[in-house]
Amino acid sequence: MSRKIILLTLLGTLFVVFTMSMIELETLYNDYGKLYFLENGFADTGSRNLVTAILLDYRLFDSLFEAGILLIAVSGVIWISKHDIEEKNAQFMIDKYKTPDLFVTFSRLVYPLMLTFGFYVIINGHLSPGGGFQGGAIVATAILILYYIDADKETNIGLIVTVEKIIYLLIIVLASLSIFTRGTFFTNFFALDASPDTKAIYLVLLNVLIGFKVALGLWTIFTAFLKEGR
Amino acid sequence: MNPILTFLVVLIGFYGLSTSDNIIKSVFSVTIIESGVILLFLNLGNFQGGSIPILSEGVTEIVDPLPQALMITTIVIGSTVTALSLMLCIKVFHHYGTVEWKEVLSREDVKS
Repeated sequence: MSRKIILLTLLGTLFVVFTMSMIELETLYNDYGKLYFLENGFADTGSRNLVTAILLDYRLFDSLFEAGILLIAVSGVIWISKHDIEEKNAQFMIDKYKTPDLFVTFSRLVYPLMLTFGFYVIINGHLSPGGGFQGGAIVATAILILYYIDADKETNIGLIVTVEKIIYLLIIVLASLSIFTRGTFFTNFFALDASPDTKAIYLVLLNVLIGFKVALGLWTIFTAFLKEGR
Repeated sequence: MNPILTFLVVLIGFYGLSTSDNIIKSVFSVTIIESGVILLFLNLGNFQGGSIPILSEGVTEIVDPLPQALMITTIVIGSTVTALSLMLCIKVFHHYGTVEWKEVLSREDVKS
């Protein structure tokens, strides 16, 4: 009981400290960055979605290592889940006979719709809400539904991870191409005064690559979890 | 939403982290803390109000897009951290047969 009282006191102290520091926050906030993005964002990057503009052009360096962290986490999950005994056909946790028929039927209906919606979100990342990371998650979810439809499906994790690594290298190469045209790393490789429609080609390419990379990464993580359910 | 309310979400996560007996519940508490941080950052760009940061005809007031772009990083890293910790939980379960903190820590081969 006394431990709980001490804990609540500590949490209350944290809350008071945070409230004191948050009072001035609205006066500290300035909107220079926001106004800059509003004025120059479309002309600079060719993206109507300003979040994509920041993610794929102004702060591309951050996004590259964000995608790299996902790759490292996938490697970590595979390494931790590595079995001592080599199991060629690992038994999947999903039992075909316990999955309700209704769920399987609706999975067959929903699966192509989800895949199409995922590709739509990826390709339209510079025009509407979405982008590579979000659309990749949707595509990965659509692929995972396949396991409910066909529980005996076998996946070659090694091949998926190899493809993912190649796509990550392609992303880095595509992001570094600007050294030849603009003289700086990690920005759009079209000239700064090109029309926004031309610059959008680069955004679509990078979004598609990142989307596929995220989808493959999440697929690998899910497969590793399925194989653990022994 | 008020930034102070978002910190309440973070505090709920801290409380769960320090009182939960189950390892999986601890992982969930970390996820709750992340949600609080994400809500706080989304609030930071929304002091002056406005529409979503997508330029189209007649859009003059937008919210700050920078915190939203930063939070994509947080979401991706949060999901990877959750996946790694849950995989470690599975390994702990296979090795010790339980996912309760007290039972795992009371085993002789665990050095605390």
